Amino acid sequence: MESGLGRSSETSLKASSSMASNTSRNTDLDQQGGHFNSMDQSCFARPSQSFPAFSPLFGVQSSSLYLPDDNEAKIGNQFEPNPSLNNPTVDWDPQVMLSNLSFLEQKIKQVKDIVQSMSSRESQVAGGSSEVQAKQQLVTADLTCIIIQLISTAGSLLPSMKNPLLSSNPAVRHLSNTLGSPMAFGSSCNQRPSSNNDATIPDITKTPDYEELMNSLNSTTQGESDELMKCQNPCGGEGSEPIPMEDHDVKESDDGGEGENLPPGSYVVLQLEKEEILAPHTHFCLICGKGFKRDANLRMHMRGHGDEYKTPAALAKPSKDSSSEPAPVTRYSCPYVGCKRNKEHRKFQPLKTILCVKNHYKRSHCDKSYTCSRCNTKKFSVIADLKTHEKHCGRDKWLCSCGTTFSRKDKLFGHVALFQGHTPALPMDDVKVTGASEQSQDSEAMNNMVGSIVYNFPGSSSDDIPNLDMKMADDTRYFSPLCIDPCFGGLDDFTRPGFDISENPFSFLPSGSCSFEQQNGDS
Amino acid sequence: MSEEVQRYGGGGGGVGALSLDLLGQVLDRVREPRDRKACRLVSRAFARAEAAHRRALRVLRREPLPRLLRTFPALERLDLSACASLDDASLAAALAGADLAGIRRVCLARANGVGWRGLDALVAACPKLEAVDLSHCVGAGDREVAAVAAATGLRELSLEKCLGVTDMGLAKVVVGCPKLEKLSLKWCREISDIGIDLLSKKCPELRSLDISYLKVGNESLRSISSLEKLEELAMVCCSCIDDDGLELLSKGSNSLQSVDVSRSDHVTSQGLASLIDGHNFLQKLNAADCLHEMGQRFLTNLAKLKETLTVLRLDGLEVSASVLQAIGEGCNNLVEISLSKCNGVTDEGISSLVARCSHLRVIDLTCCHLLTDNALDSIAENCKMVECLRLESCSSISEKGLEQIAICCPNLKEIDLTDCRVNDAALQHLAKCSELLILKLGLCSSVSDKGLAFISSNCGKLIELDLYRCTSVTNDALAALANGCKKIKMLNLCYCNKITDSGLGHLGSLEELTNLELRCLVRITGIGISSVAIGCKNLIELDLKRCYSIDDAGLWALARYALNLRQLTISYCQVTGLGLCHLLSSLRCLQDVKMVHLSWVSIEGFEMALRAACGRLKKLKMLSGLKSVLSPELLQLLQAFGCRIRWVNKPLVYKD
Repeated sequence: MESGLGRSSETSLKASSSMASNTSRNTDLDQQGGHFNSMDQSCFARPSQSFPAFSPLFGVQSSSLYLPDDNEAKIGNQFEPNPSLNNPTVDWDPQVMLSNLSFLEQKIKQVKDIVQSMSSRESQVAGGSSEVQAKQQLVTADLTCIIIQLISTAGSLLPSMKNPLLSSNPAVRHLSNTLGSPMAFGSSCNQRPSSNNDATIPDITKTPDYEELMNSLNSTTQGESDELMKCQNPCGGEGSEPIPMEDHDVKESDDGGEGENLPPGSYVVLQLEKEEILAPHTHFCLICGKGFKRDANLRMHMRGHGDEYKTPAALAKPSKDSSSEPAPVTRYSCPYVGCKRNKEHRKFQPLKTILCVKNHYKRSHCDKSYTCSRCNTKKFSVIADLKTHEKHCGRDKWLCSCGTTFSRKDKLFGHVALFQGHTPALPMDDVKVTGASEQSQDSEAMNNMVGSIVYNFPGSSSDDIPNLDMKMADDTRYFSPLCIDPCFGGLDDFTRPGFDISENPFSFLPSGSCSFEQQNGDS
Repeated sequence: MSEEVQRYGGGGGGVGALSLDLLGQVLDRVREPRDRKACRLVSRAFARAEAAHRRALRVLRREPLPRLLRTFPALERLDLSACASLDDASLAAALAGADLAGIRRVCLARANGVGWRGLDALVAACPKLEAVDLSHCVGAGDREVAAVAAATGLRELSLEKCLGVTDMGLAKVVVGCPKLEKLSLKWCREISDIGIDLLSKKCPELRSLDISYLKVGNESLRSISSLEKLEELAMVCCSCIDDDGLELLSKGSNSLQSVDVSRSDHVTSQGLASLIDGHNFLQKLNAADCLHEMGQRFLTNLAKLKETLTVLRLDGLEVSASVLQAIGEGCNNLVEISLSKCNGVTDEGISSLVARCSHLRVIDLTCCHLLTDNALDSIAENCKMVECLRLESCSSISEKGLEQIAICCPNLKEIDLTDCRVNDAALQHLAKCSELLILKLGLCSSVSDKGLAFISSNCGKLIELDLYRCTSVTNDALAALANGCKKIKMLNLCYCNKITDSGLGHLGSLEELTNLELRCLVRITGIGISSVAIGCKNLIELDLKRCYSIDDAGLWALARYALNLRQLTISYCQVTGLGLCHLLSSLRCLQDVKMVHLSWVSIEGFEMALRAACGRLKKLKMLSGLKSVLSPELLQLLQAFGCRIRWVNKPLVYKD
């Protein structure tokens, strides 16, 4: 069921049908909304990179929405870094809390203003539906922002939570999921300067049908927001591939991002925090908080919470508009400072997907906690790597003369083809070497070889002689019937040739295979 | 010439005055090994000269090997393929005492007893080794091949039917011997695309490659196409190779001269056409038993090879007269064409083919049932140079057609008339071909002593004669043959049941005879066998199956005289354990014995006889009932020495 859903969503992605990448959009938004704070961080930390992407958005936004009734100052203000928001993950600090609350207050006021202006305009002129829509959209976005900020603020009260947003509060995650509001709006509201100290929590979050409301809002503004996103990312045409589902079962061979040469600034850089990366689940039940890897599973789970979740609409995969445009090119940064995948690195190479981030972080910066149960030596930090290894562990080792081992023959042959003078090592090569160097001492080993190699009874399988005992050949007496069998002494002299040249022990195998060995070593 | 030299050498003193160098020059001009032997037997000077000059040596027994290697220090070619009971120990011992610095080529074909230690010693002793033949050493595997790989100067290697060789062994060879020019991997079924890929990367000098019967696919051909000097490629019965592979092959350098895709049943004429596109200097193309129809594109492309193509084999293909005409017009320089078992070959087709191909020397028309004398007439008229004509089962031809051939084609060396119902008159005409070497008359029951008398009187060079089931042939024919055709090496008299001991008595004068098949000659006895064994010193193979009158006396004679006998069939003969024991213990070269339904031999007889010959036997055919009663120890011993036993299970039926 799960995989079926995943696959269908994938195919729809490829076909870019009307259903196109709703799930992926969800995850995408989930990622963006979820990593809201880090997003902010990146915006402020690398203004040169993120602002070019964002400022056009504000241009559009302000011209269409704010100009009629609002001041220019807001637009100017957006570029001013807000110190209080710069560091949202620091330990609880009353100052920060205060600024957060004041921000919230201001935000709510803004929303109120917009709604007011909408209602007044509605009474005056009936036309301008597009304007109304745009305003609705803005309201939606602002509300989302408020909710997230609120929860974030509340979460930071808990001392153990360093990053309250994702790991501590599943509701937010899911909220952002279902809201599906574009990232740009969230960030834009976050950047508003805060001045008011009154903290008012909007009661809208408490209404039970909030989600439905949001959904409806969302659906009406979807097209608009996508258009805005398009403006936001004018140079993202080539990199507009849909971001795969986070919990897709594809195992990334490398950490992604290699080989694609996106010019810096042509993509948005997101940096997830360590906790987010290591969080096992990404979809959380709003009601009971249970986590899921897949949205589809969450929807199935939601049925248990009441009949309203059993409607086909609620169960159906949230569909995406056919006219939707691809998401902005987003790349990820590893939170580990000093890593090449960290955006601070001089030769920063971004990671392509969330999955890449997860695998990269686990492989590079985490303990290898999964040990292969067969060889007990190989350790892995990504369980998929362990599973891949276990498929091959214990198989024949392909050995090169240089001592390198390979799990596959073609890899060994590729290696041999590459390096001059390297040859594949046959399984018995080491024994041969010892036999040649320390002849007499290793006579035991050589005797074994007589049994196992030289007289390996080539036809034994076809002639099915039962239980052909190889050890028989080890025993030198085994050859005795050939040499000293008295029956033939009179009949013929067939053994005599052996004695004719018996001054040389080579000629007479039964006189001891070890003596042959010694001679061989001497010669 | 030989007698002259012999007489001269026999004088002694005169020859001894000549320098070794001159004597060596003389010996070089003595072609026949027998004559050379006579020279060195009668004159010490010649013996010394030969010792100093001899380049090639073929050893038949293991015992004299050390002495021989010491005697001939200038040896370059050493053939141990027929050396009975050669094993690691004896080979290493022989090599230890000799100076083999000059040895370049060693043949160890079918030397099942030689393993990696013997090969190690061989390679170490022969620093200039250039060619090694390990074909049919079925027990040879990666270790043996790895031992050979130590010969870094190796240029030629045959691993045909070395069943144990895998990619690993091949990798050893290609890394160890980068100068390899000729390699046969035929029947090495364990080798895969990976190995072939490595081969083509590591051995750029390769000129000839045989990958017949391998399970490799098109990827191998992709790798092979990178071999820039490859001239000869055989891929018989490679069923994983198809047209796409040939397409890949055609992308390589335009160097191929000979391609064999026979019995590769996924190859079609399309693939061959694209192959010709890429390689337009092809000289030999063997597409026997792989094509189902003749594509137009293939025909057009064949015409592109007009200048170069000399050998074309299309066995088993449906060909019409127009196709043959197109081939004839397109490929004027054909020297050899094979249309064996081709449906639709008619007189008309043959005449339009040969009309333009006047250089044809070998024409194989086996089982082209529609052909009549007209076809032979047109061949005779156009192809004066023809040397080999295979007409088996062309039952509509008669003496008239053969008369034309005999008149017009004086170079005829080989003709196969098996099952053609020719008569004595035809043989009378054929007798005009005095160059005839091979004559096959199997199943021609109307051939009689009279016809063979014509042959005997004129075809003195004959080396092979097949009279299988020529039931009219009697002792008189053998008398005539023994008189006229002294050079005969191979003679098949199976089921010519009028032949008796006196006939075999005549055969005794054929000193060159090596292969003699006397199957189901119920009248011959030990006396006849004795005269053959005494007279035919070179006898290597003898088939006495169902010669019901042969008893121990025959075996005693063989044991006493047929010292070179290597292959013997005595199934259904009335021999006893004693005779068998004596035979097997005496004949040092005997390697292959078929002894099914020797109902007079006891289990103990078999046991003792086999023990006596244990180290020498390489192939045995026996009743499967014996498997359980012979001691397992003996069977293990046989296998340990590289002997393969074929157990058969068939009822005892006496046929006449």
